[in-house]
Amino acid sequence: MSFWEEFFPALLSGFTETLAILAVAIPVSIAWGVVLGSARVYGNRLVSLIAAGIVGLFRGFPLVVTLLILFFGLPELGIYIPPFWTAVLAFILCSGAYQSEYVRGAIRSIDVGQSLAARALGMSKAQELLYVILPQAFRRALPGISNEIIYMIKYSSLAYIVGVTEMFSVSKRFNSLYFRPVEIFFTAAIIYLAMTTAATIGFKLLESKLRIPGLEVEV
Amino acid sequence: MFWAYVPYMLAGVLWTFALVGGGLGLGFLIGLPIAIGQVYGGRVVKAFLDVYVWFFRGVPLLVLLFLFYWGVFPALGHKLPALEASIIVLGLRSGAYQSQIFRGAIESVGEGQMVAARSLGMSRVSAILHIILPQALRIAIPGWTNEYAILLKDSAICFTLGVLEILTRTRYVVIATGEALLPYITAGFLFIFLTYGGTKVFNVIYEKTRIPGLVWRM
Amino acid sequence: MDVVLRAEDIHKSYGKTKVLKGVSFEVGRGETKVICGPSGAGKSTLLRCLNLLTRPDKGRVWLEDVELTSPSVNINKMRQKIGFVFQEFNLFNHLTALDNVMIGLTKVKKLPKDEARRIAKEALLTVHITEDLWNKYPAQLSGGQKQRVAIARALAMDPVIILYDEPTSALDPHLIGEVLEVMKELARRKVTGLVVTHEIGFALSVADEIMFMYNGRIVERGPPKEVVFNPKHEVTARFFKRISELYGGRK
Repeated sequence: MSFWEEFFPALLSGFTETLAILAVAIPVSIAWGVVLGSARVYGNRLVSLIAAGIVGLFRGFPLVVTLLILFFGLPELGIYIPPFWTAVLAFILCSGAYQSEYVRGAIRSIDVGQSLAARALGMSKAQELLYVILPQAFRRALPGISNEIIYMIKYSSLAYIVGVTEMFSVSKRFNSLYFRPVEIFFTAAIIYLAMTTAATIGFKLLESKLRIPGLEVEV
Repeated sequence: MFWAYVPYMLAGVLWTFALVGGGLGLGFLIGLPIAIGQVYGGRVVKAFLDVYVWFFRGVPLLVLLFLFYWGVFPALGHKLPALEASIIVLGLRSGAYQSQIFRGAIESVGEGQMVAARSLGMSRVSAILHIILPQALRIAIPGWTNEYAILLKDSAICFTLGVLEILTRTRYVVIATGEALLPYITAGFLFIFLTYGGTKVFNVIYEKTRIPGLVWRM
Repeated sequence: MDVVLRAEDIHKSYGKTKVLKGVSFEVGRGETKVICGPSGAGKSTLLRCLNLLTRPDKGRVWLEDVELTSPSVNINKMRQKIGFVFQEFNLFNHLTALDNVMIGLTKVKKLPKDEARRIAKEALLTVHITEDLWNKYPAQLSGGQKQRVAIARALAMDPVIILYDEPTSALDPHLIGEVLEVMKELARRKVTGLVVTHEIGFALSVADEIMFMYNGRIVERGPPKEVVFNPKHEVTARFFKRISELYGGRK
């Protein structure tokens, strides 16, 4: 079997694993980012403070460090989860923290009149957040959120550190066996590039689909 | 037990700063010309620069590190040591990101400034050097500060090449002491401290170079 | 007289500035009352104190027989009965005109969608917003259309009173008329209303009472024609002098 005949299927399975990581981490991190961002603006003093602490921590720690802390720390607490889920959790916590900042900024940029009108109708704070503020804030936060998702696609490669057999891990293994670094890593690079490019286009499409006629996203 | 190793970990800050400083510096030297090229350059130049930016922003740092350290540099005849190779890769990548920061800053300086300079008889080059850039560079400081924070955290990824920065040393300490949580958490807070400190410094610079009465929107 | 809204001795300060210095009044069912006065007199603040969008420092507010200022009251529930029309419209930007009017009915009053839609359409037709506009977003509507949709949004909730906070002040002159027409119609239909406005013509044609506010207090009140043309106080006279010059001698 030639090198490529062996490499491509392995790379493909690595790619599938990468996709699996992202399929979970992307939606959950967005949801978590929305929750965190909302908590900082709408939560009471304590909730807001805790949320701020969480955001500060996971934005301040490098993703690698968070990954390693979870990988070694969770077992010490008696929690044993497979490396795949450890990695996914690390991505969600880290990316979610960054995304929450975009959400928070977007919420605060919504005109106060929208809140007033919601309350004047008799909406509770929760209803105001859910039905009036978030639908608008999410659209405003989308460019920032999509930026973070693009980062996540690239940082998914770090999952190899905890033993997940995603694309980079496969590349590294093949390089140790065959030592053809330029071909191997350049191929991996191109595939990642294709993913990030596709995601960028995808998000642009999403943004235009969600656009409200006549309403500019910018303040 | 662990605390005896803290000095060893802290020494890693020097390598980390080498990575970050080198990366930022190289990124600046690459990014600023790219930005100027993207704003003022012709179609061919712009296309070439766009590809560069697209590549170095779209490929994971980890892949770039391994591609260059194990592949490109040896293929070019120079198998660079891990630190130097990392700095170059960080610089190439940061250059791509910084180019977008500077580009936005240059574009927000405004057409009017260039037109006024030209009407005084300045050449394009002179106008860029003496009128556009001084303003653009100040506008870019907040974005640049952000790049510092990002680069600082990304430098940790260089542990995969064995560079003796903070995280590599932390890992050795983990192996030596058998403890994992405490060293890693300490490393994490060390990064937070460095981020905070560095950001503060840049904020001071930003304040000190402020032009009275002038507000920029980027 | 069946009193719908009662305000008793309302005080409000912002920092060192005392904006409301003891305001009291009543609005009876079916009545339309107008509050006017120079800018800074505290009119908007007063209105917002009535549905507790702003909390008064002192004083009490009653809606029918429920005291709104009492700490034990469920203010969200009570707000369903008070319509509020803002100067800047404040239509929900992400919803169409129809959805704007429906959302209070479905999410707050928890009505089934079909019923909500029926009520919303009726309200929109009442304010002369025709079907071709129902699926437009606020950004696609003119100022006058936006404000009328805002009135429909308040009306659809079937409130016991509608509060209008300078409803035409943000409108271009040629659009003011259509909104005032709608408000006049509602007044004629005995929809209870309290309007803060500069539009004295509106007050003269449909209001049961004008309350003139100056410097945080209601200085004078009475039937519009009396207050406008025969004011008892100096400040009132000065404010309405120009209006007299414009309208004086007319019916």
